This record gives sequence, structure tokens and C-alpha cells, in this order.
Amino acid sequence: MRKYRTSYPISWRIMDVLEAAFASIWPKGGGKYTPYLMLAPAILLVGALVVGLLYIGDSSLRVLDRSTFLFSDHWTIENYKRAFSESFTLTVIWRSLLGAFIVTFFTLLLAFPYAYVMVRTSSSFLRKFLLIALFLPFFIGQVVRAYGWLIILGSQGIVNDALGLVGVEPIRLLFNYPAVLFGLIQYMLPFGVLMLAPAMTAIPEEVEAASGSLGANWIKTLWYVIIPMAKPGIIGAGLVVLTLSLTDFAMPAILGGGSQDFIANAIYDQFFRTSDQGFGSALTIILIGIGSMMVGLIFMVFGAGTLALGSEKK
Amino acid sequence: MSFDKKFNRRDLLKTSAAVGAAGVTTLAMPSVLRAAEPDKPSELIIRAWGGPWVEALKKGVSDPFTEKTGIRIKHDLTEDNEIQPKVWAAVAQNRTPPIHINWDTTTNATKSALRGVCEDLSDLSNIAGTTDLAKPVGVDGYPIVNTYGYVYVLAYRPSAFPDGAPKSYHDLLADKFQGRVAFYNDGIGFHFPAQVAGGGKLEDIPGNMAACWEFVEKMKAQNPLLGEDPDFVTWFQKGEIDAACTISTNALGAKKNGVDLAWTVPEEGAKFDTDGLWIPKGHSESDLYWAKEYINSALTKEAQQVWLDGLGLPGVVEGLTPPPGVPVPDPSYPTKPEDFDRLIRISGQVQVENESEWFSKFKQIMQG
Amino acid sequence: MNTSRTQSVIFWTIVTLSILTLSAPTLVVLGASFTSGNIIDFPPDGFSLKWYGEILGEQDLREAFGRSLIVACICVLVSLPTGTLAGIALAKYRVRAGSAIQTYLLLPFTIPLIGSGIGLMLFFGQAGVLGNLWPIGIATAVINLPFMIWAVSSSAASLDPDLELAALSCGAGPVQTFFNVTLPAVTPGVITGSLLMFILSLNEFLVSLLLVDARIVTLPVQIYNSIRSIITPDLAAVSVVFIAVATIAIIALDKLVGLEIFLKSK
Repeated sequence: MRKYRTSYPISWRIMDVLEAAFASIWPKGGGKYTPYLMLAPAILLVGALVVGLLYIGDSSLRVLDRSTFLFSDHWTIENYKRAFSESFTLTVIWRSLLGAFIVTFFTLLLAFPYAYVMVRTSSSFLRKFLLIALFLPFFIGQVVRAYGWLIILGSQGIVNDALGLVGVEPIRLLFNYPAVLFGLIQYMLPFGVLMLAPAMTAIPEEVEAASGSLGANWIKTLWYVIIPMAKPGIIGAGLVVLTLSLTDFAMPAILGGGSQDFIANAIYDQFFRTSDQGFGSALTIILIGIGSMMVGLIFMVFGAGTLALGSEKK
Repeated sequence: MSFDKKFNRRDLLKTSAAVGAAGVTTLAMPSVLRAAEPDKPSELIIRAWGGPWVEALKKGVSDPFTEKTGIRIKHDLTEDNEIQPKVWAAVAQNRTPPIHINWDTTTNATKSALRGVCEDLSDLSNIAGTTDLAKPVGVDGYPIVNTYGYVYVLAYRPSAFPDGAPKSYHDLLADKFQGRVAFYNDGIGFHFPAQVAGGGKLEDIPGNMAACWEFVEKMKAQNPLLGEDPDFVTWFQKGEIDAACTISTNALGAKKNGVDLAWTVPEEGAKFDTDGLWIPKGHSESDLYWAKEYINSALTKEAQQVWLDGLGLPGVVEGLTPPPGVPVPDPSYPTKPEDFDRLIRISGQVQVENESEWFSKFKQIMQG
Repeated sequence: MNTSRTQSVIFWTIVTLSILTLSAPTLVVLGASFTSGNIIDFPPDGFSLKWYGEILGEQDLREAFGRSLIVACICVLVSLPTGTLAGIALAKYRVRAGSAIQTYLLLPFTIPLIGSGIGLMLFFGQAGVLGNLWPIGIATAVINLPFMIWAVSSSAASLDPDLELAALSCGAGPVQTFFNVTLPAVTPGVITGSLLMFILSLNEFLVSLLLVDARIVTLPVQIYNSIRSIITPDLAAVSVVFIAVATIAIIALDKLVGLEIFLKSK
């Protein structure tokens, strides 16, 4: 290797090759297509699910014959009719929707301060502690975690034992709707915080200082400065929590005591218990329809551009 | 519709005499005796339930099979309900199924048999040595071989019943059991006794089950907990419930784990059902041969004795010794005709055709 | 610092409450794994390491854990570039039919996991690739992809188009600009997103359940299946070992790349 080469580091040369390669495959004036090309891999990846959805859509239009356990050859909308005529379906749809909104509201309420403190604290130890506290619960799994709750909140659990010391009769804290919502909020909290944190890091601390020096109290600063700036994160976190709680099945199954089913539980029953993939598929499609409509609505109300900050700046 | 609560108990208990002796002598031999055995696969995959269930199978059937043939056995612990769509999809897509043998409830297995995904097992030599319990009802031949029976008993915490075992499901309607009773979340095991408890007739199943639903409504007012096998054990352990309608094996398992528990067959009777083994279509000739050999070996008296000692359940060959810890004589471990008089057995066909409706009706009431 | 006292008190109360509810069941399970009794209980019934001894000998568990690690790595390898590009695209450009595309990209969350599992099983089954680990890696990448995309796009607020223009006008090519200007701006999102993807993939059981067979069972599936009979303290011990390994991994990652700077406000 000649000496003058050292002034031209290897990384530069790699970069040159990459630039050349990029220029050769990138169409001239392709700037217009840049965002779409960047989105293409993700769209393709989700495409795997869409192919799966085609199978599900197809079986949702076929009825199970219980004398052969095969599905009809022709298409019919019988499964959908059945779904909308059974009061049970409407009960679980309503229960899931209401639950998803309550859970989203409270999760954001708890996640916001958590993310704020985690990002703003000056202690690096505290920051890591807060981060690890978020990740730990994932590792014991939902079922074992629910067992943990039974030990804490059960009729003979720690809380009821403590209440017993002050003469309170054991109360049933689990196996009802609030218990399911509580479990979901606890499960969703880490997602909420982790979605909010990157948005928080993007807000410079000086902005707050400026707001404060202009005479705004902390509530005003929060409401007029931080929340608007963190909006992409809040919308992102809200969407994630809303859709995940709407489609959850583990928490209602474990903490609901069997009488607080969400739609996903009804779908599980059809796929795995009564072997009726047709009806299960119809319920799945209905749930996806409801979820996507809600998501679309949120994008419309808050604007698709909420997440596309750069474009607004231009 | 075949309804067979009063199925012929003598037939059930009697070993088919003509082939009985022959059956015993061929126990250890391959069922389809050929000059040369097909190539041995390195392993067979058997779907099984976890915990005490798979341990019993391993000890009674799998380990002896490996010892005899040198074929390793891998146990797949996916739930029976959850393996079903996997197996069905594999057969539909002409893939090799993920398991060689499915240890399954007879009801679930019957669905697979009706769908035509089961290999026929009629040529297993040891079937000759089994009681009528081994034969699946409502399907042709032996797409499944039943391997034992079990009862959905009423398990209870003795301390909550100071006057002795509950005599009837009506006893659970007392105020003190508000929120302290548990059922399977689809009501399985409870539908038939509820029909009796509600004043209906078993003969009216499935045509008229109004009595059943009326009684389920009454039970709903008690706010029962609904769950699955592991939930019952957990709930008993943690003092959440005092009584549950569950399979006696779970009650026995909980008892072995130190929970103070007893069980009974109430005056309404208790649902009797069977589990079995079957082979999904789509395996190579040689794999199929050895999978059949495995099932054949599970029908020997030696295998049944060890396997069912672990489960605490009555088998399908004669002369088994009841396992320790099981109350005998008792209808929850039925061996005699008078035991079977206390039990309710509805044909697999009626069950698979109507089960979904029963499940959704039960859910509708309980989720309301 | 101009944070008011009231704000601190309110925020810290909420944070403490959150930490308590997040960790309470974990701590109970952690404590219960040291019981000498046969059931999970708290306070534990005596102290012993017998349940750890029990799982130590289980080769199945170790192999399953190894497979889970492979699956999680594949998941990150697939989702990191895919999600980062998509996240930047959504944040930086005004995309035609943006709402529709974003709704589409949220499909992994609006489809219930059971639906995704069945669909992917049929898809991979038809393609004849079931029985390998990589389809499970891809599956866990797909079903969690929105986390990656939105973590990146929500950190893109600090993306300054002027800076990119400056780089370009100084003679940097588009690739160089991307790696030296654009990417560093969204790094907090990329890191949190990847970490989350890795951990979620490592713990995924429902979709994996439909894609594995007995030969390639992953750890969460193994745990999920063995829970279906009786919950014994060995499961608590497995969870604790799992947590320990993961904590070591996170600490190692922290030492290597420094998690700290990515979450700290500038």
C-alpha cells in the first residue's frame, strides 16, 4: 500500500463505492419516488400477513359442515350474518372497544410522566433503572405474571391478608372487568413509554426553560409546549396501545375469570375449540375492519401529517 | 341419532372372547407381520398433554417402546385444540404433519376422523384384546383407538362441606358458594348433569335442552369462575374456589400436589368420555408402520397399567389394578356395571355435531 | 432546572406507582422460585435452590433458549433496516395516500395474533418452508414491525431537513448524507425500537406456536405448553434465569454502544 493512500481512509473508499452503486441503480430524478422506495420493504414484509389474510377472508365465506368437518365449496355470507345476529358477538365487540379506549387513556396518562422522567433525569443510573423496570415484566410471560397477580390480589393473597389485619373481610379483586383493564394497562405501559420516549428526547430542554422564563407555569408549558411537540409520539403510542388492547386475548382469558371475553377470545374459541375456522375467520375480518377503521379515523382527525413533521416544516 | 347412556355394559366390560387369548400372545409382536420390517425412523413425535400426563405416557408407553425398537420418542406438548388446525392445514396442503401420533380427546379425534385426516387402525393386532370402550362410536372402523375413559367429577374442598360431599349440583346454589364454584369455560362436562338437574331428560339431548339452559342460568347467578384444567388446580391451591366440575385426573393431580381435595359423582350423574390415539395422514409408509406399532404397544396390559397408574383412570384392557390414591369402588373410576349406571355417556357423533351450539349457548349465558 | 415542585411530586408519584405495578408480579415470581415447597407462593415456603437444580439438567430448555435467541436475531436483522427506512420515509416526506399506507402498516396490530398466526402458517406452509427457524424470525418481525416504524418516526422530530441539504451541498452523496446525517438523528428510535423488537421476539409464543414443530420448539412456546397442566416453581426459576440472561445482554449492549445517550435529552 502506498503511503499517500493513508490519507484516504478505507471508509471513504467504501462510501465512494456505495455512492457509485447507489447512483447506478437509483433512477435519475428519482427523488419523487424516494419515500415510496423507502417504504417498499415494509410494505412487502406486511404483505406476508396480507397473503395470510386472503386465506382467512376466503374461509370466512365458507360454512362448516359438521357431518364432515369440511367447508362448503361455494361462497356465502352466512358467517357474517350469524356474527351480527348473535347478541354474544355484539357484547364482546362492545366490551373490547370500550376496554381498548379506557386502557389507552390510562396507559398514556401513566406513560407520559414515566417517559418524561426517564428522559429528563440527570442521573444515568436512574434512567437505566427505569428502562430495565420496563423490560423485566416481558420475561416472565403473561401467564406466569397473572399467577403472580393471583398471589398478590387473590382472595388469600397479600393484599387481602393485609386488609384482614385491619379487620376487612376478603374481597374479590380479580376475575372481573376492572381486573382485566388493570392487567392490560400494566401490560401496555412499557409499550406506551417506549413509544413516547424517542419523541421526548427530540424536545430540547431549552424550549421548556424558555416557556418558563416567559411566565408560563408548568401546566401551561406542558399543555402548550411539550404535548404539542410530543404529539407524534403520543399518537404513535396511543395507536399501538389501542390496537394491541383491542386484539388482546391473554389478559381477558386469565384475569377475567372466564366471563369477560374480548373478541380475540371468541376468535380463539372458534379456531381452536369448535374447529369452525369459517366463523372464526369472519370474526377476525370484522375485528380487523373495526380496528382499521378506528386507525384510519384517528389519522384523519389528527391528520396523516402528524407523523410527518419534516413535510410540515417545508 | 344414537344415544347410548344405556349402552350395553356387559359388552363394554367383556373382552371379545373369541380373540382374547390370541390377543395376549401377539402382544409384543408387530401387528402386520411381514418378512422384513420397514426402515426405522430415528424418532417419532407424539403429541401429549404436559405435566403428569406426559410423564405417565413416557413411563408406560414411550420408554418401553424405545427400549424395544430403538426409535426415540419426542413429545410435542402443544394442546390438543391447538394442534388440530396445524394438522388439518398440513394434510390439506399435502405436507408431512408435524406429529406422528395425536393423543387426543375422542370428540376432537372424531372431528378429524369425519374430516378424513386419520389413518385406519383396524389392523392393529392388540385391538382384539380390548374392551368395547376402545371402539369409537359413530365412525367406521378404527380411525381412532380409545385408550381409557374418564369422568367429569364434582371436585370439592372438604372443609367447605362440613356435612360431607355435595349430593347434587343444587347444593352449589347456596349463598355461601357465590363466586366460589368453577366450570370449564365452554361448560363441557356440565351440560348433561345440568339437563338432569334442571328436571329434563337425557333422552331429549340434543333435541330439547331447555332444562339444561334453565339450570345454567341459575348457576350464572352464582357468578362462577370459568377456566381450563390448569386454572382449577391453581384456584383450589390459592383458595379461590370451593367446588369445580372437572376431570378426576386434575383433582388427583391437585391432591398429589398437596391440595386438600375430594371428588364425587353427584346424583345427577357425571359425564363419561374417552381419550384415544390416532395417526394423521401424510406420513411415509415406514413412519406409518412404526407409528402403528407404537399405538399397538399402548394397548398392552403392561403399558396400560403403568400409563394409567399415572393418570388414575380406567383402561381398555381387562384385569388392570386400580392405581393408588383412587377411591375404589367409586363411579369416578368405573369398573362395574353399577358404576356406569351413575355416569352419562353421549355418543361422539351427537357431541361433535352439537357441541359448538352447546358451547356458544353456555358462553352466551355466562358472558351476558 | 425550572421544573416546579408540584410537577415533580405528581410525576414522581405516578412513576413510583407505575414501577410498583410493573415489578410486583415479577418480584413475587422471583421470590417464589427459591421456595423449597411444591407450589409457587409468596412469601416462599422455606429457601432452596432445588428448582434451579431441576432446570439445570434440562437440555431441552437450553436448546429451546438457543433457538429463541436465533429467532430474535433474525427478527432484528429483518425489521431494523425495514422499519428504519419506513419510519424515516413517513416522518420526512409527505406521502401520497399517507393515511392509507399507515393504516396498512398498522395491520400487524389490528389483526389479532391468532389470525396472523393462522394466516402465516398457511402462507409458509404453502411455500413449503415450515420446519425452519427463519420463518419464525420473519413472522415475529412482521407482527411487531409497527413498533420499529413508529419508534423511528416519532424520534424523527429532531430530523432537520436543512442539515441534510447542507450536507448535500457540501458535496456529500445521498448515501453518505443518509448514514452521517439522517440516521444519527433517528438513532434513539432505532435503538429503542430494536431493543423492543428483540425482546418481543424472544418472548413471542402464540404465532410461534403455530409455526414450530416439536423439533424446533422455542423457549416461550415450551413454557406456554408446560403451563397447561400445573404451574410449578420450576417455571418461576426458568423465568428468573431468562431475566438474568436478558439483563446481562442489556448491560453488555449498554457497555458496547451506551444505551444512555440515546434516551437522554439534548
